[in-house]
Amino acid sequence: MSERRVWLPRWLTSEHPLPWLFPVTSLLIVFGLYPVLFSLWLSFFKRNPATRKEKFLPSWNWEKMISDERVWDAVQVTLTYAFIALFIQLVLGLLIALLLDTDRKGFGVLRALMTLPLVVPPAVTGMMFLLMYDSSFGVISNSLYSLGLLSPNTPILGTASTALWGVIVADVWQWTPFMVLIMLAGLRALPKEPYEAASIDGASAIQSFFYLTLPMMSKIIALAVLIRGIDLFRIFDYVKVMTDSGPGTATETLTAYAGTIYFKSANFPYASTIALATLIVVLVTSSLFIKIFKVKF
Amino acid sequence: MSSSSVKTTLRYLFSILIVCVFIFPIAWFALTSIKPISAVFNKDRVVVFDFEPTFENYQVTVFGGKRSDTAAGQNMGMGTSGTGAYDGRSSIASSLIIAISSTILATAISLLAAYALSRLRFRGSQGFMHWILSQRFLPPIAIIIPLVFIFRDLGLRDTHLGIIIAHTLINIPLALLILKSFFDDVPIEVDQAAMIDGATRFQCFYLVVLPMIKGGVAATAVLCFIFSWTEFLLSLFLTSSIRTIPVKITTFVTSTGSEWGYISALGTAAIIPGFIFILLVQNHLVRGLTMGAVKE
Repeated sequence: MSERRVWLPRWLTSEHPLPWLFPVTSLLIVFGLYPVLFSLWLSFFKRNPATRKEKFLPSWNWEKMISDERVWDAVQVTLTYAFIALFIQLVLGLLIALLLDTDRKGFGVLRALMTLPLVVPPAVTGMMFLLMYDSSFGVISNSLYSLGLLSPNTPILGTASTALWGVIVADVWQWTPFMVLIMLAGLRALPKEPYEAASIDGASAIQSFFYLTLPMMSKIIALAVLIRGIDLFRIFDYVKVMTDSGPGTATETLTAYAGTIYFKSANFPYASTIALATLIVVLVTSSLFIKIFKVKF
Repeated sequence: MSSSSVKTTLRYLFSILIVCVFIFPIAWFALTSIKPISAVFNKDRVVVFDFEPTFENYQVTVFGGKRSDTAAGQNMGMGTSGTGAYDGRSSIASSLIIAISSTILATAISLLAAYALSRLRFRGSQGFMHWILSQRFLPPIAIIIPLVFIFRDLGLRDTHLGIIIAHTLINIPLALLILKSFFDDVPIEVDQAAMIDGATRFQCFYLVVLPMIKGGVAATAVLCFIFSWTEFLLSLFLTSSIRTIPVKITTFVTSTGSEWGYISALGTAAIIPGFIFILLVQNHLVRGLTMGAVKE
């Protein structure tokens, strides 16, 4: 055995990381890193919509993006969407986790049922809610009509002021279980002693939640916020399926705007510029977040 | 009744209520899939249970059956395209081929890299981990436009292989990070003992450590499958004739109306594999969703 190995240079043996990492690395470079650089290169060209010719003008698209009102609207929609959805999911996730965190009979089944929304394809989730929102036979719309909370003249997704909320509800439905699961794992890992000490000292349940549970859970909450926050910032599926950015551009997020430019005007350089800007924001924010909150993977 | 048993009862009731709220959209969708057209599109009231169940929606979308005359006759201003447009069989086949292949590919090559990152000490391993993590955070839209051009030049556009590669790409960071956390659970003394007995690194990986984390590998594969099965954006951009189920379903919404019977039938059928799988990996779910950061 060992004599045969003499014929191979060391970096080709299994002692060296290269053969182990080669398949993953090559795939990620060719189809992950190269496209990002390609995107950057594309963003340096100005596309003439009439002649379909592209001209090298490095700052054109980037300047256009900064002064594009629609980009700033999309930023606002994206941030509103991400923050509202994240906040609701976090609070609901924590509350439901506290409720389900018990060894009593039957709660295991409830916890398992709670995970089911996670495996529904987001495009199908969009459809489910489209069906329930339908202004003539949708079960949610009709319930809201009979409660007097909604008028048939202002369909949920067809009205600028409610459309974003309609999409957020779908997101909250699908991803609150994610928060519940992570919070449950966090609650399970908590030590028991501090709670015993606190109850001897006469602390109420609410006090021990705010002074013990929350601080001890801060690491896991930070992790959940990071993962979910990034997924929310690059939201695409629900918006595309449910409203296609409409009505008007009321629900147009950054990624949806990039998609619209791609599909409708075929201005690839400009679509790439916006997509790249999203990427830069995501990477900078996430690395800062990881540094500040010391998240470990 | 004492106050603690009142509390317990309330907790049960409240928990069941909340879980019902989260199950309701799925149940409603499944219920819609067996309703006749007249019950789905009833404009006067919402039909809940009082209808004659029909499996025609499944026959058309999942089994490629013909659309019956009664349904076509009652066509209430809905899409008028032929039955063929609602045949989901080729989409189901495509989704299966793509999800299975990309799962195998992503798991296999991530296993190698994860073992090295867990066991071998080398310069740049930390940087490599960061790069992998940044791939997980990359918005797919940022690579999709150039990917369309690259795929066109390589002849991969609108092919199964193309989407398999794309899905492998998004599954690698996930699979690698989870698998590394499983490898990290195995004490390094196991490797040392095997190598003292004369095993090479690769034999040590393949014959000793890998069998010890079988459960973890299975959980990783299941998560990769679910991610590929539910993925929408990449499939939407990279294909035009091959359509995965999520993309196919969105084509049932036409400018003249939505075929809710067909949408809910194919949608419900598409959810079932995920349900079975997620119940199988409950124990490793949190680790999977947090990419190995939380071990339960």
